[in-house]
Amino acid sequence: MENASKSPLANEPLLRIEGVSKIYDGHIKAVDQVTLNVASGEIFALLGGSGCGKSTLLRMLAGFETPSQGRIYLGGTDITELPAYQRPINMMFQSYALFPHLSVSDNIAFGLRRDGMAKEAIAERVEAMLKLVQLSQYAKRKPHQLSGGQQQRVALARSIAKQPKLLLLDEPLGALDKKLRVSTQIELVNIIEEVGVTCVLVTHDQEEAMTMATRMAVMSAGSFLQVGSPKAIYQQPNSRQVADFIGSVNIFDGPVKENHTHYLLVQCADALLRVPSIQACHDGIAVGVAIRPEKMALSRKKPTAKINHVSGVITEMTYFGAHTSYHVKLASGKVLQVQVQSQADEDNADLSWGDQVYVSWGDSAMVLLTQ
Amino acid sequence: MASLMQSLKRSMPAWLTGRRLVIGLPYAWFLILAFLPVLIVLKISLSEMQTTAVSGMVSWQGAWPSIKLDVSSYLFLASDELYLATYLSSISYAFYTTVICLGLGYPFAYFMARAPKKWQALLVMLIMLPFWTSFLLRIYAWKTLLVNNGLINNALLAIGWIDSPIEMLNTPFSLMIGMVYSYLPFMILPLYANLSKLDGRYLEAAADLGCHPFKTFWLITVPLSKAGIVAGCMLVFIPAVGEYVIPELLGGPNTLMIGRVLWDEFFSNNDWPMAGAVTIVMLLLIMLPLAIYNKLQSEGRA
Repeated sequence: MENASKSPLANEPLLRIEGVSKIYDGHIKAVDQVTLNVASGEIFALLGGSGCGKSTLLRMLAGFETPSQGRIYLGGTDITELPAYQRPINMMFQSYALFPHLSVSDNIAFGLRRDGMAKEAIAERVEAMLKLVQLSQYAKRKPHQLSGGQQQRVALARSIAKQPKLLLLDEPLGALDKKLRVSTQIELVNIIEEVGVTCVLVTHDQEEAMTMATRMAVMSAGSFLQVGSPKAIYQQPNSRQVADFIGSVNIFDGPVKENHTHYLLVQCADALLRVPSIQACHDGIAVGVAIRPEKMALSRKKPTAKINHVSGVITEMTYFGAHTSYHVKLASGKVLQVQVQSQADEDNADLSWGDQVYVSWGDSAMVLLTQ
Repeated sequence: MASLMQSLKRSMPAWLTGRRLVIGLPYAWFLILAFLPVLIVLKISLSEMQTTAVSGMVSWQGAWPSIKLDVSSYLFLASDELYLATYLSSISYAFYTTVICLGLGYPFAYFMARAPKKWQALLVMLIMLPFWTSFLLRIYAWKTLLVNNGLINNALLAIGWIDSPIEMLNTPFSLMIGMVYSYLPFMILPLYANLSKLDGRYLEAAADLGCHPFKTFWLITVPLSKAGIVAGCMLVFIPAVGEYVIPELLGGPNTLMIGRVLWDEFFSNNDWPMAGAVTIVMLLLIMLPLAIYNKLQSEGRA
């Protein structure tokens, strides 16, 4: 997934968003001072819950909203004031917005016709697009005669037919059912990479963002919490909010007890944690230590290591096939989520409700959260 | 309560299910209040006039009923060119009324649908407001505006734009003013209902694909509001063809409209079969194109 994305510093990035804000009614900040560079060829995801401002930001890129502050540059040109119909940017709408009175091929040809392309060239391009999304035999159908997945592909074909410099995807898989979503995700990324178009996509589904994007931003209350590759954000979340939003996570709270060169000691209710950190923290400051459920291990025997384990009672157990999820209640009342791969689980096959167990983890599993 | 329903159910004949009742009621309504009257008119049109009443169609010759159809009214209708001219003139007045109403009503409905939500209710009220006064009164008011020494002519004379009053009343012009004025709400309301439901994302999608707003209007908004346009045009055209009051009050003696012919046949000539024939032919003239249009529509959709 790590694409050969050029360094944004090497030359002008394809898309440059500079201090963009959108303020409604004089005081409601939908988007607050967002700055972002997207390099050519990237698939960039804006991830956040509803009302976080991701859609407003996307609509400003499309030209449906004008920023209250800041500038937007595309390929070095300021497009902040350019009306939507003059931007070399196309969007795949949430629930597609396919023109209901036009056939599939007329929907795809709509944008090409506006460019005054020759009739033959349009027909050729439409055919190529239909082939790309494997809908050639549906050219004459009306949108309402297609399934949701087919409509999604028509919407994609329509949005890339004009070979836009930037493709915007608004919740591209939001209208599909879960099973179809996974296969469509892969298909969508394949097509986008085949065409080689730069993408900005908006989603509230972290899985969708992680699998599709080369880089992503986690948004909340109109601004970015963290920007980085999906892997970096998952493994090194920079705040409680990000850690919480991306996947499930266990967070131990407590004050810093001791500061050492390569690690900190954090005194939590259930254990003293030794957290590797190059970041110096004042003693006594309250921090969080995040550990992903799949990085924890369960055992009946007390681990040999002196630190980084806690003990508790299994209160819940859910078998998922590939893994099993346990809820372990600690002495302090805190409930940990632990995910154990089925293969590794053979030793613990007889674990069940009410059993006293030890939960342990490696040094690298812990991420220090100072905010 | 439940036992009451049960006993009610038991007392109903087996074929009378709730489902049949629900579907049957509108049909019964239509049969009694629309179809039956048309049949009666058809019967009158095929009868003979006997001084003050129409003749009976069925007479009994012993045990055998004999049905006498008199098509002379239809033959006369076909032979006298005045009827044809009146039909054509009625249809063309109705047509122009419809076109002008559409031309004025569409932009009105369009901006109404796009007005801030809090204004929309008020605007709809303003459209409905004229209905609160008598229709006759409103048409009569136009008479006083348009007459030679009326408000409009006096005003134009006063500011010196004209030297002598313009002949407006009792011309096709005054007729059209009255028709458009009266029927405009029937065009605006269905159009507004349709346009206010238009999904703004289609307009955004068009803009996104490089379509100028003006072009978007013709390529997206108008086609998507087709149902509203058709509804509005029918609501205006159909009653406009048979309009009687407006041509009578504003049209003067020279404007030919079928509504006035009907009146004359009924009340001046006392020729009910002829009036019936005029009505039936008018009904066919309006219904046939609509039926064909509907058929084409449903075939196109299939």
